[in-house]
Amino acid sequence: MTITRRDVLLGATATAALMPLAARAQTSEVVIGATYPLSGSGAQVGVDAQRAFETAVDIINNDQDFDLPLAKGLGLPGLGGAKIRIVYADTQGDPQKGRAEAERLITQEKVCAILGSYQSAVAVTISQICERYQTPFLSADNSSPSLHRRGLKYYFRASPHDEMFSAGMFDFLDAMKKKGAKADTLALFHEDTIFGTDSANAQTKLAAERGYKIVSDIKYRANSPSLSAEVQQLKAANADVLMPSSYTTDGILLIKTMAELGYKPNAIVAQAAGFSEKALYDAVGDKLEGAITRGSFSLDLAAKRPMVGKINDLFKAKSGKDLNDNTSRQFMAMIVIADAINRAKSTDGEKIRDAMAATDIPGEQTIMPWKRVKFDDMGQNNDADPVLLQYVGGKFVTIFPTQAAVADAIWPMK
Amino acid sequence: MTAETIIQSLASGLLMGLLYGLIAVGLALIFGLMDVVNFAHGEFLMIAMYVTFFLFTFFAIDPLLAAPLAAAALFVLGAVVYLVVVRFAMRAKANVGMVQIFATFGLAIVMRGLAQLFFTADYRSVPQSWLGGKTVSIAGIFLPQPQLFGALVAIAAFGGLYLFINRTDFGRALEATREDPGAVALVGIDKNRVFALGWGLGGALVGLAGAIMASFFYIYPDVGASFALIAYVTVALGGFGSVFGAFAGGIIVGLVEATTALVLPPSLKSVGIYAVYLLVVFIRPRGLFGSM
Repeated sequence: MTITRRDVLLGATATAALMPLAARAQTSEVVIGATYPLSGSGAQVGVDAQRAFETAVDIINNDQDFDLPLAKGLGLPGLGGAKIRIVYADTQGDPQKGRAEAERLITQEKVCAILGSYQSAVAVTISQICERYQTPFLSADNSSPSLHRRGLKYYFRASPHDEMFSAGMFDFLDAMKKKGAKADTLALFHEDTIFGTDSANAQTKLAAERGYKIVSDIKYRANSPSLSAEVQQLKAANADVLMPSSYTTDGILLIKTMAELGYKPNAIVAQAAGFSEKALYDAVGDKLEGAITRGSFSLDLAAKRPMVGKINDLFKAKSGKDLNDNTSRQFMAMIVIADAINRAKSTDGEKIRDAMAATDIPGEQTIMPWKRVKFDDMGQNNDADPVLLQYVGGKFVTIFPTQAAVADAIWPMK
Repeated sequence: MTAETIIQSLASGLLMGLLYGLIAVGLALIFGLMDVVNFAHGEFLMIAMYVTFFLFTFFAIDPLLAAPLAAAALFVLGAVVYLVVVRFAMRAKANVGMVQIFATFGLAIVMRGLAQLFFTADYRSVPQSWLGGKTVSIAGIFLPQPQLFGALVAIAAFGGLYLFINRTDFGRALEATREDPGAVALVGIDKNRVFALGWGLGGALVGLAGAIMASFFYIYPDVGASFALIAYVTVALGGFGSVFGAFAGGIIVGLVEATTALVLPPSLKSVGIYAVYLLVVFIRPRGLFGSM
């Protein structure tokens, strides 16, 4: 039999067509979904989150010398070195779009787990869909306490929620009062979705328990064109401590309007969100000298744990920004879910869920000031300690709790 | 509630209302001219704010001086949008109204997407400006200078527009085209030219508003959305197509918003606006000053 040129060509085509199949079978990949606002008013956070996830996936997929789970060696050893691939979905910060996108990720993109989602209101719908399809959902950065109390089997959260954060804030206020600082009256200023509402509920409860007087409790509409009426009420109440729970846009407008209406609070203790974002300090940082925000992350930690600084450099190379409260938690979420998938040795939802439930990562193997990552039966990690950060001279310094603090709090703010 | 709080609320509401009017007037002008609602109006505002931001960042031009430049840039944008998009949308053989809505709506989404692609989703703001953060204080009432300046510009713009429409040849051509686009062709007026200039003028007005807003508001690709919504209410309230109606509508919206926030929880402050809007739509569907 003679082999013609046409036969060679046919053979080559057939081989080429089959190649990807063979390649796919050898280096299998693990697909993880990430649901974030990539357009709309929260887009900046979503875009930064992509860089945080990419940083984590680079560390997992490649051989890196960090004391983090999966950093050393290539990919996930439990799945024969499989690499992680992220599929992003845009929620536009809308719970209904979040629901649809989560369903699409699970049924079309075949993701084996989902990370999300910045806005707590969107996490509510995404986690319901994940429960129905038995796909684990890990809240990277949602902080509403009600999220883990809905009896969901597939819901997990490694970072603190707003009751833990708020308790930290009140511990700090108690400590300041003991030192003689004036912090008896509070003004709550919160947006009207689940994040602001839950945060204000937690703060109201804690204030009553610990004997603080709330002189003004303002719930405002998120992304309002104007906040002058709201700020006037804050000004009239003139509380010792202003406690905002706001996303970036409203945070910027709040501080600008306060300056315009001649209101200078004695102290600001913020529930992070917008007050962790560089954009807010770029816009109004000159008016925020001495402002305090809760956080789950601080770059100060790099002094004790050099890995934090190196990972920050990797992230900065991608995003041009330092890791902050949100991006650090997003980074950790990817590490935590990858660790569970690796131990599950499977991409089956139920097996990953069981591996998640058995997670136990010591605090030193994270970039956070946490004791450990270990989930209770509701999927919440209770060993994540919040910190309080103060904005001084253009950067954040940790001021509370005492064991993590690098400086004393400046009180009142300038 | 003290007298001071009430006066402060009304003063803030009035200043904001004049600005709402300035944002809305371009929309009213275009609708009055050719019965097209520009659903990309909020995105025009967003572009104007970015123009101001970039003029400040790269050339250190204060938003105050940037205002005429932003107006000029938006004049060009408005005219181009008419010539490239709207002109063709109006040629649709059937369902012209729908085609126009979808054309400008689609344009809005494209503009937002492009803005995020080129300017990123980051929140920007003009950190230092001549007026930014400064206030005038009269007997305990604080009037922020950027908004005060914005209110003056709004009044001047409305005055200028009134004179322009009533006293110049082009204004009369505008008015004539609006009344009967077919007949004006017979007396030698180029309909397309008038429409393009009308869109340019509408753009220039929102350009002014954007430049002023850039000195006290944050800037990002979706910033136009909430202002556009208020602009539609303002225009519907004042009367579709009526320039004076947009002026009055803006002031009403600003004052109603401020008074609602005094009596209801602030998260419900837009309820007042929409309640007044519904009332007007039921009682006087053509709007307060509409002449349909």
